[in-house]
Amino acid sequence: MNRQRVASLMSSVTGLFLTIAIAFAIVVLMILILSDEPGRAIYYFFIGPFTRAYYLGNMLNQSIGLMFTGLGIAVAFKSSTFNLGGEGQAYSGAIVATVIMLALPNMPGFVGGTAAIVAAILMGAFIAGLSGFFGMKWGTDQLISSFLLSAAVILIINYLVTGPLDDPTNSMLTTPRIGQQYQLLRIFKPSKLDISIVFAAILAIGTYFFMQRSHWGYEMRMCGLNREFAKYAGINVEKYLMVPMAISGGFHGLAGAIVVMGTHYRGLKGVTAGLGWNGIAVALIAKNNPIAVIPAALFFAYLDAGARAAMLHSDVTFELASIARAMIFFLVTAQALYGLFNSKKKVTK
Amino acid sequence: MSNTSFPIPMLHSTIRIMAPFLLAAIGGLFTELAGMLNIALEGLMLIGAFFSVVLAAATGSLFLGVVLGILASIVAAYVFGFISLNLRANIFITGLATNLFAEGLTVVLAFQIFGNKGVIRFANLSKLPDLSIPSLQRIPVIGDIFIGHNVLIYISWLMVILAAIVIYKTPFGLRIRGTGSNPGAIEAIGLSPRRYGMYAILISGFTCGLAGAVLSLQMGAFVPGITSGRGWIALVAIYLGNKNPLGIFIACLVFGFAESFSNYAQGIMDVPADFILAFPYIITVVAMIAYSIVQHYRLKGSEG
Amino acid sequence: MAYLQMHGITKLYQTSGVLANNAVDLSIEENEVHAVIGENGAGKSTLMKLLYGLEHPDAGETFFRGERVEIKDPFAANRLGIGMVHQHFKLVPDFTVAENVVLGTEPRKRGIFIDRQSAIGHVAKVIEDHGFSIDPKRKVKELTVGQMQQVEIIKMLYKNAELLILDEPTSVLTEQEIERLFETLRNLLSRGKTIILITHKLEEVMDMSDRVTVMRGGKVVAVKRTVDVDKRELSRLMVGKDILLQVDRPAKEPGETILEMQGVTICCRGQQRPLLDGVDLKVRAGEIVGIAGVGGNGLAEIEDVIGGLRHPGSGKMFLNGEDVTRYGAEQLREAGLAYVPADRLNRGASLQSSVRENCIVTKHHDFLKAGVLLQRGIREFTRQLIDHFSISAGEGMRAGNLSGGNIQKMILARELSAESNFILFSEPTWGLDIASSQFVYEQMMDLRKRDAAVLLISSNLDEILGLADTILVMYRGRVVGRLANTEDVTKDIIGEYMLGIRDDSQGVAVASPSGVRGE
Repeated sequence: MNRQRVASLMSSVTGLFLTIAIAFAIVVLMILILSDEPGRAIYYFFIGPFTRAYYLGNMLNQSIGLMFTGLGIAVAFKSSTFNLGGEGQAYSGAIVATVIMLALPNMPGFVGGTAAIVAAILMGAFIAGLSGFFGMKWGTDQLISSFLLSAAVILIINYLVTGPLDDPTNSMLTTPRIGQQYQLLRIFKPSKLDISIVFAAILAIGTYFFMQRSHWGYEMRMCGLNREFAKYAGINVEKYLMVPMAISGGFHGLAGAIVVMGTHYRGLKGVTAGLGWNGIAVALIAKNNPIAVIPAALFFAYLDAGARAAMLHSDVTFELASIARAMIFFLVTAQALYGLFNSKKKVTK
Repeated sequence: MSNTSFPIPMLHSTIRIMAPFLLAAIGGLFTELAGMLNIALEGLMLIGAFFSVVLAAATGSLFLGVVLGILASIVAAYVFGFISLNLRANIFITGLATNLFAEGLTVVLAFQIFGNKGVIRFANLSKLPDLSIPSLQRIPVIGDIFIGHNVLIYISWLMVILAAIVIYKTPFGLRIRGTGSNPGAIEAIGLSPRRYGMYAILISGFTCGLAGAVLSLQMGAFVPGITSGRGWIALVAIYLGNKNPLGIFIACLVFGFAESFSNYAQGIMDVPADFILAFPYIITVVAMIAYSIVQHYRLKGSEG
Repeated sequence: MAYLQMHGITKLYQTSGVLANNAVDLSIEENEVHAVIGENGAGKSTLMKLLYGLEHPDAGETFFRGERVEIKDPFAANRLGIGMVHQHFKLVPDFTVAENVVLGTEPRKRGIFIDRQSAIGHVAKVIEDHGFSIDPKRKVKELTVGQMQQVEIIKMLYKNAELLILDEPTSVLTEQEIERLFETLRNLLSRGKTIILITHKLEEVMDMSDRVTVMRGGKVVAVKRTVDVDKRELSRLMVGKDILLQVDRPAKEPGETILEMQGVTICCRGQQRPLLDGVDLKVRAGEIVGIAGVGGNGLAEIEDVIGGLRHPGSGKMFLNGEDVTRYGAEQLREAGLAYVPADRLNRGASLQSSVRENCIVTKHHDFLKAGVLLQRGIREFTRQLIDHFSISAGEGMRAGNLSGGNIQKMILARELSAESNFILFSEPTWGLDIASSQFVYEQMMDLRKRDAAVLLISSNLDEILGLADTILVMYRGRVVGRLANTEDVTKDIIGEYMLGIRDDSQGVAVASPSGVRGE
């Protein structure tokens, strides 16, 4: 039994390694083709994030949001529900938190901050929960409905940020700045890394225990692995079409709030852009294991940081990271690369 | 175009707007019938849009641009299909991958070639030729609405008819449908369901490439994310259209009208642009929920 | 040389490490019916897959009509004149009979279109030539199971198959449909065809075959002329020891009613007849009630209703006196239900989960403390079940890595551990080997002895006749027969009910084509 586990872990690791290697190879290839100074671009893409403390700190900072959204997706996927609306949920969380903090300029930081975070979580949970609800009630495809809802939400928030919530005192399309008391402690200056990274790591461990040991976690996993079996055994499977979606949305809303409180201190257009999609990538590469979400989020933050460094120091553009990410998406579920190991995730309709 | 009353130009533009939906949905119908959820429509369209307009400008030939754009989309579809079917990856994740890849690739290439991540205009590009038949155009209403569009619009209609024939009248169509309904039946007669799945994916690459070309060549420009969710809406159109070409045509007509209407509304009322952009998504998600409610009660009503 | 000669065929499944065929020789004469028999896992299906090109052997040679052949896919097999009728039909339900038959070799007009007219014409001719009576224009999903099988045979005849492989062809058929199939086979034989019959039912071997090859553990253990052997000997060859279904069922007076269904009806719009039509049923303490019937006649629906997975449109259900008609699975279990489902790999177990998580699924609430599952209690409980039911498994093993028999034992262990006084078994031994089946039977008899009420849904008539005190037979959603299981009740009688030839629910026996005794 143990040998079995080790073997499956090994093939899983080699598969992952192969996936990442192929993704990097494609990026290198693209740099070689497109860049006039490929050596420089490649150097900064891979080493850049470690060349300055500032870059390193920002990279770590970026992983925070990814941990939250990655956890949100991992919980949804483990329960075989599909949340493709992470982008909109995170964005809505960011905006709701911003609005609350702006509305309470004189509240103590802890009270107002907590209110903002809770509201953001509820908002994300509500939007994702809607898709969950439709799926539960009428069998509406959650994957497509969550995407469409999120797409609509993003546009509406764009309008809010650039319209009614716009800060008239500056020329940028942003909301006013949130009060000092709401700004999370920066722990690695001058970078933007803030204290919430500790919180994210603790939450990842907590989520792991929640999924493995708690009542809801067990029932959700059973539904995720085999809905027919869960129903037969008397587990309320309808409920678990909605609950994991709402939890997942809550994680995304939280991510949005933290990004505003820790990094930007204001709502701006596209403040959480990419967190949703990257969250899916993080969960996939972590094989939906909440603890593995931590390194997976660090890895994707590294990809972004590398692409950003390469952009700053050479002639390539930041979107190289999204190509690498796409390649990982392409290959991470490819069973042929993962040898015998086959978790047979049921990610079909 | 005569401006007799406001619905006429609105319906005219409905016809224009629905073409990319229609093309993407028709391609998606093949993959759907072959039993696969094709999320990649969006990305395949984007690739078609980028390469067709860029290569049309580079070669100076609209025709070559369209052909090469379609080719690029087919290549991307092949990669998507190969990884999903041959490497046995989850087709829903690889579909997302295709979309992300298309998004990244088009921006990276645009930046590297044109030094610009925004709207790229091609001033030297000639307009898509319109099909104008003056005698028909003089027919009131019908002529105003249906005649005088560019050729690709009419090609999209031809594609629907062609698809219907292929699906229902040819051995190939029979096998595609068999693949989706019971792959074991295809396997048992010595054919490969995987191969027919691949054919379906390549067909969707073809139509999505064309759909992308319609988008960018009509505009004479490339805009990052020009497809703005049309692939997803097309996916919904397949379901709403009950997985048959005529139904899909009607669903796309509705979506085309919704978008045309919201454009029109923007012109006369002061609605923020973002709301207008959100409108198709909202319409689509509402339509989808309504559809599933109807399906749900039909199914439920059929029991005791 | 024989008509078909397979020599030294060896097949190792890499992923599971199972040596499915170990140097197997098979020799078939022209125009004979050759039975290949063996228990589940004996390797007979694998051998046929190799012959039909669905799998490829690691070693060995095949000669067909004197020539060495490499059969790389079913297409190649068809070209050689080898056809196979699969146990699970390979049909597209939405297509017509003709479309299904011509699929892959469609007649064309103008090179690219399907020629529907000639397809229908050709198929109609094959149907007529071989004495079938199916409308080629009907959709396959509207056909009975027996007719679907005929479509599979027509498909092979259309492809000019000379050698027909039938894989467990009778497993889904009624006694009468089986008779019909055998007529067809005899008819084919008279036209010079050769038939390989894969089965594990000895009667069929005795009735139909000229020769028989017995397989066990991936090897051929005997090749006999059918006239030279009897069932007992074949049975011994198959299992290696002398076991026939032997259950001791002492007389016993049943107690009070535990489960009762009153007029349970499920209608399905678009379907002409209800799936369940006024089903009345009673199971008393200390009694085993067996429900027989052919698939599609309401057995699955009864299972679903009792399991709480589907609610009847009208009618009532009581469990231990409580009205449980609208209860879901969880409430039903609280009311005293235990349930071993037919679909044990999907419904009865979660193959991706550990044995532990499988064992506690119906009672994980017992291990909760403040919303947290207590691991130590769970481990202990699971170990107890493993010991008590001698399941060969570790508590942390993935259920999917267990053998079929052990999975069923795990499910039994879990369901019996609830100590409910009502237990539903649906197809409890389907696909199990004889030893595992025997284990299940013993458990059922033990429950009976302990005054539990047992409902057994089974398409295996031997099982029903061997175990049940009362037998109900379902036909088209109705209970058409209610019999006390006495010496007089035979398989034939039950088979007639199963096919609707006898029907007590109408008050009188329906006129029967084959001179059935009235009651």
